[in-house]
Amino acid sequence: MNARLECDGLAGGWGSLTAFRDLDLSVDPGTVHAILGPNGAGKTTLLLTIAGLLTAHKGSIAIDGQALKAGRATAAGRAGVVLVPDNRELFTTLTVEENLLVASGRRGPEPRSMLALFPALEARWKLRAGALSGGEQQMLAMARALIQRPKVLLVDELSMGLAPIIVERLFDAIRRVASDDGCAVVFVEQYVGLALKVADSVTVINHGEVILSGAARNIAEQPEVLEHAYLGTTQVIEEKVSNGNAVTPPQSAAQ
Amino acid sequence: MTHVTSLLLGLGNGGVYAALAIALVLTYRSSGVVNFATGTIALYAAYTYASLRDGKLLVLVPGLPSTVGVGGRLGFVPAALLALALAAALGALLYAVVFRPLRQAPVLARAVASLGVLVVMQGLIENRLGQAPVSVAPIFPARSWRWGSATVLSDRFYLAIAVLGLTLALTALYRWTRFGLVTRAVAETQVGALVSGVSPERIALINWMASAVVAGAAGILIAPISPLTPSAYTLAVVPALAAAAVGHFELMVPTAAAGIVIGMLQSEALTLAGQHHWLPQSGLAELVPLFVIIGALLVTGRGIPVRGRVLRQQLGRAPRPRSLLVPTIAGTTLGVVALLVTQGTWRSAVIGSLIAAILGLSYVVVTGFAGQVSLAQLTLAGVGGFSLSGIMGSWGVPFPFAPILAAMIATAVGVVVGLPALRLRGLTLGIVTLALAYAIEASWFRNGQFVHSAGASIPDPKLFGLNLGVGTGHAFPRIQFGLLCLFTLVGIALGVARLRTSALGSAMLAVRANERSAAGIGVNVTAVKIASFAIASFIAGISGCLFAYRQSVITFVSFTALGGLALLATVYLAGITSVFGGILGGVLASSGIAFLVLDRTVHLGNWFAVLSGVGLIATLIRHPEGLASGGHDLARRFSHFKFLHPRRATPRRVVPLTVAEAPPNVYAGPALAVEHLTVRYGGVVAVSNVSIHVEAGAIVGLIGPNGAGKTSLIDAVTGFARAEGAVLLNGDRIDGVPAHVRVRRGLARTFQALELYDDLTVEENVSAAAFSTTRDHRHHQVTSALERSGLSELRERHAEDLSQGERQLVSIARACVSDPKVLLLDEPAAGLDTTDTRRLAARIRDIAAAGTAVLLVDHDIALVLGVCDFIYVLDFGEVILQGDPATIRADRGLADAYLGTLHDPSIAT
Repeated sequence: MNARLECDGLAGGWGSLTAFRDLDLSVDPGTVHAILGPNGAGKTTLLLTIAGLLTAHKGSIAIDGQALKAGRATAAGRAGVVLVPDNRELFTTLTVEENLLVASGRRGPEPRSMLALFPALEARWKLRAGALSGGEQQMLAMARALIQRPKVLLVDELSMGLAPIIVERLFDAIRRVASDDGCAVVFVEQYVGLALKVADSVTVINHGEVILSGAARNIAEQPEVLEHAYLGTTQVIEEKVSNGNAVTPPQSAAQ
Repeated sequence: MTHVTSLLLGLGNGGVYAALAIALVLTYRSSGVVNFATGTIALYAAYTYASLRDGKLLVLVPGLPSTVGVGGRLGFVPAALLALALAAALGALLYAVVFRPLRQAPVLARAVASLGVLVVMQGLIENRLGQAPVSVAPIFPARSWRWGSATVLSDRFYLAIAVLGLTLALTALYRWTRFGLVTRAVAETQVGALVSGVSPERIALINWMASAVVAGAAGILIAPISPLTPSAYTLAVVPALAAAAVGHFELMVPTAAAGIVIGMLQSEALTLAGQHHWLPQSGLAELVPLFVIIGALLVTGRGIPVRGRVLRQQLGRAPRPRSLLVPTIAGTTLGVVALLVTQGTWRSAVIGSLIAAILGLSYVVVTGFAGQVSLAQLTLAGVGGFSLSGIMGSWGVPFPFAPILAAMIATAVGVVVGLPALRLRGLTLGIVTLALAYAIEASWFRNGQFVHSAGASIPDPKLFGLNLGVGTGHAFPRIQFGLLCLFTLVGIALGVARLRTSALGSAMLAVRANERSAAGIGVNVTAVKIASFAIASFIAGISGCLFAYRQSVITFVSFTALGGLALLATVYLAGITSVFGGILGGVLASSGIAFLVLDRTVHLGNWFAVLSGVGLIATLIRHPEGLASGGHDLARRFSHFKFLHPRRATPRRVVPLTVAEAPPNVYAGPALAVEHLTVRYGGVVAVSNVSIHVEAGAIVGLIGPNGAGKTSLIDAVTGFARAEGAVLLNGDRIDGVPAHVRVRRGLARTFQALELYDDLTVEENVSAAAFSTTRDHRHHQVTSALERSGLSELRERHAEDLSQGERQLVSIARACVSDPKVLLLDEPAAGLDTTDTRRLAARIRDIAAAGTAVLLVDHDIALVLGVCDFIYVLDFGEVILQGDPATIRADRGLADAYLGTLHDPSIAT
């Protein structure tokens, strides 16, 4: 089976600042891939680059073997890459229905077809998106992406500020989209445990570089590696405990 | 009943303002362009329509015949439809060629480009068709209807009805069609549109065509009522801007209604001026848009909605002048030589350039440094010039005092012009200043009650019996006057360069970069804005005085609002953010030497305006930040090459902390006490009933996952977000106090995004936050803050050249410069590597050891656990855990909050 999304030697960032480099990523249709890493690791920049909102500095992005032009958001959209940005970028003055109408296009699915995945939106159908709760807004952002029938769905910080029960529902939706429609899903998530449950494969990046990648199952078996990536080295603590005596920082556990 | 009659007479002009305002709204909402050329598009459509009725098609392309026959006169419907189709094509062309390439450029650059379009279009039509008015057959039946004693002209009435009908049709189109829905979506967020599979550029293109059709319809409808001349419609854009401002550049029906009301009030103002002699006999009508605009923008306090874009761009960088000595000597020498080798017209043009350069520097101060868009600088120069005439002529004040007094009058007027800046930003402010310029021009400069129709005369400047005047006859222009202008320019240029490196200059750049963060480092934004308008107006006033001396007699022609727009365009093109750019703007100005050289060598004649407009647009597309930006980039690359690399190699010396001045802290309670704080955004509760205490000298950590409410809490404590509950600094309530005052009382903060000023050096970044009154003390504070942060070696470097770790340290040094009692650090370890994080930790301990209470918010748990004495864990806006680091570390709740159920055995199976 050919990969649906293939990134090869990708590097990118804002202006001349590099946020991530040397990134290889391959996601098959119908699978879910999680990008993990602490704040500032370059995860959001990576998604923006794949979606064409930022121009890649180096490397290539291909969908079903077709190379994407760097930095062309409309071209990426036409090729089936759809992003759910971390701040959602909803049309807050438009109603829920209108938000979906904008994205469905002239020949797209009926907005109401999205209610099957997100029944909670039914009661809010004629309300302005700005008046929704955080969880409902995230559902609408997901629905607005899915109504475009994406081949590659990119989701940034799905769970930010949301209650666990809502997050669970949203992840259910993601799994269903992957298994039913053969969509390749790439998501950025800060709750590692949750991400490992949902994803088939995982890439951990820190300081813009891949420090770990592989099947979610394998990574879940070595929590100490992840804990190290997240909670950092313990040197600062030891420094204080040992009252200024030099402590050798532990080498990256990924090596 | 004459009032009703005159009000109804204004329906015609009002209808045109309404339609042009709608056209402005369409282009602004879809592409963020305030299109000053809207009136010119109406003009093009009207001329095309008029010639089609005559059986000819207008061709604007130079070199071709100006008209071609279309085989007989066309009737109203085919002529109007063809003219509107051509207008739509023009709109599409303008978007595709000019505004689409500029879609990422600063808002001001796009507005300036529209000024370029205005100049090109008007010049083309003038060159092809001449100035002679063209009369057009009536479209609507022209009858007089009488209602009692009131009279209505039926053609005006029909016009207004037609425009209202058009407005309602457009409103319905944008309300109920898919195209309208998508346009509203694009206007709100372009990123949202892109991720929804919508191309914002295609939507903008269609809206530009629609806008051109609406403007064209206005032009065609008014053509039979008011005679058609190239300059006739251009200024109609000012009342149209006022009407668009009433509808917040968004709502069509209020916009159209405002346009019609403005037209009616203007007509009534003319009647009133005729009846009452105590009223200004000229300019009353021009005051109407000003009052409408001020009412709409200031009273409601809403500016033009700023559109969401992929990248936010500011004006260009304002580089720090490197060395003043060499450019000053070289520039002065060049000026003296230019004055010596020229005579007559040539020398006059050199003097014209010198004076325009002074005016250019006033734009540099107010717009380039402080970021306040003023379209009234030429008008302020006029205030200086006309005041000078009165001061010298009527009061007999002698030379060096008279121009200074006149410039002070200009300063006073300038501060009034700048008052709207306290509530408005960006182009909204520009529009208000344009309306002011338009009103001052009409009610003062063109008013026969104040200025003699032959103009205001100005006696020669004389100092100690030495005549510095420009002279007459063969003596004109005398070298003495040229030298006076040159030395004034040199003095002002030096002053502006000094301003750029002063504390006020740093504060101006801070305001320009981000008013929020400027307040966050203790800058009094209001005072800085007023100071920038005052200084710029004084400079403009001086240039107006010199201009008056050069002309001996001045009239309104030299100080029109439109001339001010053209000058802004020139200065912007030359580089509005630097002294060099301001002076270059003077050289390029139409009264200056560059114009004369081109005119004499190439014999451009009337085509100069068209070519300069084309040049302006072409340059803007290549350099959206102005010509001077290219030169500055080169200079920077050169200096990198020369100085930076050796310096990078020098080992960084860590200066041990010296606790020089421990603040006497007699208060026994916590330095910072937050009691029962709740922050709500709309319906969402971001922080819920949180209480936090930080003792002097302690480091308290605040951690929690993204979206837990940490930044909201910091914003509320520092005065950037509304909150319920109490905030106490050393026992005093500070909630309800403005942000910059909290900083001055001793509550400093850093920003997650750092908000450093990239075009300032490290030292200037830090000194922007030092608000001590004496220069020496300020210098001492800055030096000590830099030393303590180990940044002394980097003090001359620009912030944008630093590594992320160095930037963090600068941000902290800036917050610490005035020895705060409490320091709030918002994610100081973001983007730092391990070595940088260790250095940061040491720095934070030093700050606390000196007696400051530190509240640290960060994602790097190791850092927080390592340096803090006490930690609060926040989730869903509430404190879920608190205690010393050992307690927090032992609690499983922390790992769960961050990692979810990582240790859940079910996932490892």
